Amino acid sequence: MARKIRVLISRLGLDAHWIGSTVIAKTLSNAGMEVIYGGSMIPEEIARTAQQENVDVIGLSTLSGNHQALGPEVVKELESLGIKDDVLVLMGGTIPVRDVPVLKESGILEVFGTGTNTTEVVSFIESQFK
Amino acid sequence: MLKEWEKEYSQLNKLKHSYKSNSGIKIKPLYTPSDTNEVEYDNDLGFPGKPPFVRGVYPTMYHGRPWTMRQLAGFGPPEETNKRYKFLLKEGATGINGVFDYPTLRGYDSTDPIARADVGRGGVAIESLEDMNRLFDGIPIDEISVSLVTCQPIGNISILGMYFAMAEKRGLDLNALAGTSQNDFLMETAISLGFEELPPSAAFRLSCDAIEFCAKCAKRWNPINIDAYAYRETRLSAIQEVAIGLSHAMACVEEMKRRGLDVDDFAPRISLFFSAHSDFFEEIAKYRAARKIWSKIMRERFQAREERSCRLRFNVQTAGSTLTAQQPLNNITRSAYQALAAVLGGVQSLHINGYDEAICSPTEQAALTALRSQQILLHETNVVNTIDPLGGSYFVESLTLELEKKIKAYMEMIEGMGGIVKAVETGWLHSEISDCAFKYQKAVESGEIKVVGLNCFAVDEEVQPEIFVDPETFSIQEKRLEKLRKERDEGEVRTALNDIKMAAENGENLMPYTINSAKVKATIGEVSKTLREVFGVWSPSFI
Repeated sequence: MARKIRVLISRLGLDAHWIGSTVIAKTLSNAGMEVIYGGSMIPEEIARTAQQENVDVIGLSTLSGNHQALGPEVVKELESLGIKDDVLVLMGGTIPVRDVPVLKESGILEVFGTGTNTTEVVSFIESQFK
Repeated sequence: MLKEWEKEYSQLNKLKHSYKSNSGIKIKPLYTPSDTNEVEYDNDLGFPGKPPFVRGVYPTMYHGRPWTMRQLAGFGPPEETNKRYKFLLKEGATGINGVFDYPTLRGYDSTDPIARADVGRGGVAIESLEDMNRLFDGIPIDEISVSLVTCQPIGNISILGMYFAMAEKRGLDLNALAGTSQNDFLMETAISLGFEELPPSAAFRLSCDAIEFCAKCAKRWNPINIDAYAYRETRLSAIQEVAIGLSHAMACVEEMKRRGLDVDDFAPRISLFFSAHSDFFEEIAKYRAARKIWSKIMRERFQAREERSCRLRFNVQTAGSTLTAQQPLNNITRSAYQALAAVLGGVQSLHINGYDEAICSPTEQAALTALRSQQILLHETNVVNTIDPLGGSYFVESLTLELEKKIKAYMEMIEGMGGIVKAVETGWLHSEISDCAFKYQKAVESGEIKVVGLNCFAVDEEVQPEIFVDPETFSIQEKRLEKLRKERDEGEVRTALNDIKMAAENGENLMPYTINSAKVKATIGEVSKTLREVFGVWSPSFI
């Protein structure tokens, strides 16, 4: 039997919106993934938790506009722990389309902006592990 | 005749839809006098300005004074927001509506490590009295009504402290100030979350400190603006929005009475903040039902003697969560319909969202277009020619009664749990919100709820609008904080913070202490840290 995909969901910085992140957490859990809900975490904590929990995917949630400042930080922290290649980093929230290329260049695999259909997120993650 | 029409309708109705309101109330194809048989004019409607205030809180409504055109503004360092305030006022806004950035709202200085990435985002960065002075430089706060969207009580107790300190330094009597501060403990503990929340009972206590202080010392100020708008934004229904909002208001009244205040001394200044959502008629009926319920609660349950204590005044923001990042110009249309509902529902003060709301903070053009929307509504549509034009509509009156029943039932359920503070402590509210949000998402994805441009009438190529860029704020605020710390009297600051600590521990009202700490240039981060040390931090661990 295939091992469950392990996903850490965390909110970035002082962005106060939490509900979208719980919707996605529940969706992924319903799809058979093992979801760890981290709440608000700083990049260093996110990376450490990802290592401790041996996750396959990190889902970062932000609606405040802090995505450029903090998203790439998370990738850097994973790198400093030596696990950058072992964890996929995804981002969701209020992220303008024009900011996506820079985020991807920094190591974020995919960005799911406003209006994303959550089934897309499930399919994307599953397709990474086939 | 009715039977004849029903037969014809049945035969010709090819679509065979069943119609429900946004909150799930079944809506009939036609309403007739038989649907409003139980409506008694005096008991259920009354006249504008008279209990139960269904037709409006003032006798003259918009004939005496139009609703306040209060467009939200807030970003970057204080001088940038000051410019936007002045721009909006020059273009015809009639009140100020200020939002604060995420660090300020939660009580962190810009230089706090966890604050850095959010400085100047979502609102203006305010560290101290000096920033408050910059924010309101050249603005006559004794002539203009100012709404401070302080959200959480932990931020409010400092922000309002700074605002009042600024007023006193300008030689103004606090009782002369007209304005509002949000100060909603649900924003701290349930609707929005951060790294450290105050426990719900502590946040509620801080919130009540501000209400009590203003009842005695700032009598024209609305010290609480219950953010039912934000409750609704989480995907709760119109019924839940009003029920939770009014349950919160009831808890405030109970606490003020417990503190020994006479109900007529503070109740007139309790204010609500509602959404104007997509279901046009449900929103209108919602406002009317809310006024009726509150009027009766204040009279019957709390024995208010004065009519002004029974009068539910509210401001409205058009519903941000209904707006799309896809084909954003459509948001102008959505917001206009929603604003119309608010005006037909008797709103006191209104903010219309910018068309870029789903993408970024409003650009100047989006903010101006929204303000113009208000002006068109007031000056071109003639909907203000008569008061409560929908009064007597078989549909609207029937829907108002139906919403009243359902709202009251939900309020009784919250009361059965022990009230709103308990409902938050136990995690019940978080669960309710999570469930509603999840169901909503599935309904949109299945197409059951239609969103134009998103799950229907979508386009392949989106035209990206101009995006608002948050101005550089961190480096400016960092330098200011350095300078502030060099120039202020550290001994005075230490004393002020210690006084806050003692007052918090002894159960004293904290407002006089935060006004004082503002005057000696304590920062919002320093005051909030002191409060967290006394009250402890709390996390809803049931998510």
